[in-house]
Amino acid sequence: MRSSSNERPGPGAFAAVAAIAAFFALFLFYPLVYVFNKSFIVNGRPTLEFFELLFKSPALRESIGNSLMIAAAVTLLSAALGLAFAWLLSRTDLPAKGLWSNLLLFPLILPPFVGAIGIRYVFGRFGMINILLMKAGIISEMNPIDWLGSPFWGVVILETLHLFPIMLLNISGSFALMDPSLEDAARSLGARGAALFRTVTAPLLMPGFFAGASIVFIWAMTDLGTPLLFEYRAVAPVQIFNAVQATQENALGYALVVAVLLITAAFFMLSKFVFARRRVDMPAFGRSAGRLVRLSVPGKVAFCAALAVFVLIALIPHVSVVLVSFSEKWFMSALPQEWTLDYYGKVFTHPMSYNSVKNSLALSGLAVIVTMAAGGTIAYLLARKKFKGQGILDACAMLPLAVPGVVLAFGYVQGFFGTSLDPRVNPVPLLVIGYAVRRLPLVVRALYAGFQQTGAALEEASASLGAGPAPTLRFITLPLIRANMLGAAILAFAFSMLEVSDSLILAMEEKFFPMTKAIYMLMARLGDGGMIASAMGVLGALLLAAALAAAQKLLGKKMGDLFRA
Amino acid sequence: MASVEFRNVTKRFGSVAAVDGISLTVERGELFFLLGPSGCGKTTALRMLAGFVEPDEGTILFDGRDVSRLPAHRRNVGMVFQTYALFPHMTVERNVEYGLRFRKTAAAERAARVAEALERTRLSGLGPRYPSELSGGQQQRVALARALAIQPEVLLLDEPLSNLDTKLRIEVREEIKRIHQEFKITAVYVTHDQDEALSLADRMAIMRNGRIEQAGTPAEIYAKPRNEFVAGFVGETNLLDGTAEPRGGAFGYATAAGWVPAQREAANGRAAARISLRPECVRLGEPEGAPARGVVRRVSFFGGSVRVEIELENGATLSSVSLGADTRLTWREGDAAGVYAEADNAVVLE
Repeated sequence: MRSSSNERPGPGAFAAVAAIAAFFALFLFYPLVYVFNKSFIVNGRPTLEFFELLFKSPALRESIGNSLMIAAAVTLLSAALGLAFAWLLSRTDLPAKGLWSNLLLFPLILPPFVGAIGIRYVFGRFGMINILLMKAGIISEMNPIDWLGSPFWGVVILETLHLFPIMLLNISGSFALMDPSLEDAARSLGARGAALFRTVTAPLLMPGFFAGASIVFIWAMTDLGTPLLFEYRAVAPVQIFNAVQATQENALGYALVVAVLLITAAFFMLSKFVFARRRVDMPAFGRSAGRLVRLSVPGKVAFCAALAVFVLIALIPHVSVVLVSFSEKWFMSALPQEWTLDYYGKVFTHPMSYNSVKNSLALSGLAVIVTMAAGGTIAYLLARKKFKGQGILDACAMLPLAVPGVVLAFGYVQGFFGTSLDPRVNPVPLLVIGYAVRRLPLVVRALYAGFQQTGAALEEASASLGAGPAPTLRFITLPLIRANMLGAAILAFAFSMLEVSDSLILAMEEKFFPMTKAIYMLMARLGDGGMIASAMGVLGALLLAAALAAAQKLLGKKMGDLFRA
Repeated sequence: MASVEFRNVTKRFGSVAAVDGISLTVERGELFFLLGPSGCGKTTALRMLAGFVEPDEGTILFDGRDVSRLPAHRRNVGMVFQTYALFPHMTVERNVEYGLRFRKTAAAERAARVAEALERTRLSGLGPRYPSELSGGQQQRVALARALAIQPEVLLLDEPLSNLDTKLRIEVREEIKRIHQEFKITAVYVTHDQDEALSLADRMAIMRNGRIEQAGTPAEIYAKPRNEFVAGFVGETNLLDGTAEPRGGAFGYATAAGWVPAQREAANGRAAARISLRPECVRLGEPEGAPARGVVRRVSFFGGSVRVEIELENGATLSSVSLGADTRLTWREGDAAGVYAEADNAVVLE
């Protein structure tokens, strides 16, 4: 039973808790409460009027239904792919596992809405596929196949390609934690095959599985960028986006936001407290090297071929975006007729794109400062102090995982209307705060892990040698968690550069556009808009790839933990 | 160097009193041990001396000065942690120098003090290494050097040997004794290992459930444990029920292992009492004419000594330890043996 007086919060800690509480109250709870209030109280009287709309309005029902279907399809597909790949990489003697694991994580770097740009060039009516088919004489020029006729599957496939690596990371993590002797023990007791999987393996995989699944589900359900670029309007996030654009107060918007929030919160709770609650703590000692399933030679060939095909398909959006960004002319041909580097130059000369890159750099930089300050304080309070309400603090810090970006952005626009933070006047403060809030779970986790592994004894040793709290922080704590801080800051920065919902919803005037909004606006322009947008998307993906690689180096194996719910 | 005093000190965690009203004085220059099972409050008591835990009640005094509310970094206390807590991002030198940075020591003197501390802990030459490049025993000594370099008023040691293997433990134990004598420093040492305490301590306190059961020199506590807990925790013992029975003008108790003399005042005149009889006070011999008899149940050979377990006629088990040289090594399980209690005075427990 050990506790130190340092753990008892002093005046500094109280001030920190108060500041953090105020931050959450203003920028997380107030907008949500505002939205709830608006939807359930009209003219000072409580009403379910808005809520009835959910059932009465066919448009609302349809968009919620579509979003749920997208989320379900993406989650199921990602889970199946993640499980299969994780099994292959963790439990078999598949050759070149390191290579496959990197190739399979690669799709994570391309935000799906960027991939959507390329996909339109490849699968469009006169895109690469149809042209090739026409040249081969399989289809006629008069009657091209409408591959994207159903934007539903386009969205599902792009989001799945982006999100299955998260399932793969989580399930692989569970496999790595699992003591193989448990399965051996079950085998020695007579369990085999499906029975073994059902009774021992699956229950031990559950926590990791649901931690990943809830992130994937919420992400897919509320992703705004991808359906927007596919011009798929009948989904909840796009409807919310349109509701913000509308000048007068829009009942549908409120009802939708509340419905989406309730659904995602319910799913989050369900996965967190029902499925993942029985967190299985496995002993760290005496772990035997797992016995790998031996694949036959034809089996190895078949699995490698299947993986190769999958990787090739998964990379179509990447490849096509890159092609578009380099194409001088690409019309009615399988590949661009002429190549150019101009569009990369134009990213930095075209006023809208150049301005947006500058804006994004500044906004993301500021957001990193805010989220590192808030997240660092929270992680420190959670790891080093003992006080009532720590559970609540932790829950608040993780709440942005359950609250979709579109919901919060909608709440910001409505809740801060007419105040000095009104995004219609100047969206910069709320963009910075919105980015920061969204990255808070990641930062808190990375830094909490740093504090945990540093241990309080080193700080006590420092104190006993005469160092007060400030020198201890400077000479001991900060240097020791530097890798975690750097990893968290880099990831937070890259994800902020590519943040979609806040950027699209909060930035309304061109001079405030961040990169993602500029990409969206450029796509709608004729001429070279799509090419510049692609070049920006490629640059964004490169940034994310570099950030993930750096973070992997800095945070090591723990990086997978950052993509959990 | 300072004396250390706990005066009616209590510390509660929730509703549990981890330390429950202890009073204790450690004299200047003493190597004092807090010994007890895990959860007895010894570590909490130590952490209160370090300043990591504030007492709820009572005062802690260094040389008569109340330091109860003084934060750790103002106490000038050196501490050796169970895990050593060496700063992994600093070399051995920087670790040892660390505390001097906060003491307005001139650079030249700092270097001299670091060199001296390294030399006296036999670490010279390891200064530029990082802790991860050192063996467990060396890390241990760096932790000591770092704590001593600040010339603390009190040195605190929290189970410093628990991460070392048995052989190294005995080596480092002697090293700590030597360093303590050389530095002539007041030291408080927490452990659950009675061998460490008995072999090193000038004086020690046995703790249980946040209270001090008994304090004294190792010899006093071993020879005159106050109660069953202390008798059983420090060394091995046989506990017997005794009935007061004067014999030949002397006071004593009749037990299943025979009659043992006792001091009347220690017994407080009680007619019935618990008696502690150390195994080395139980001699085995011929059954004929012995004060008590039993059957040998188990013989364990330890090289230097032999331990024999006897089942007495009343069914109780008694153990006897004798030096290998002067015992019949021929005791076998099932032999009948006579039991001779050879205590000058029985230890009558409270």
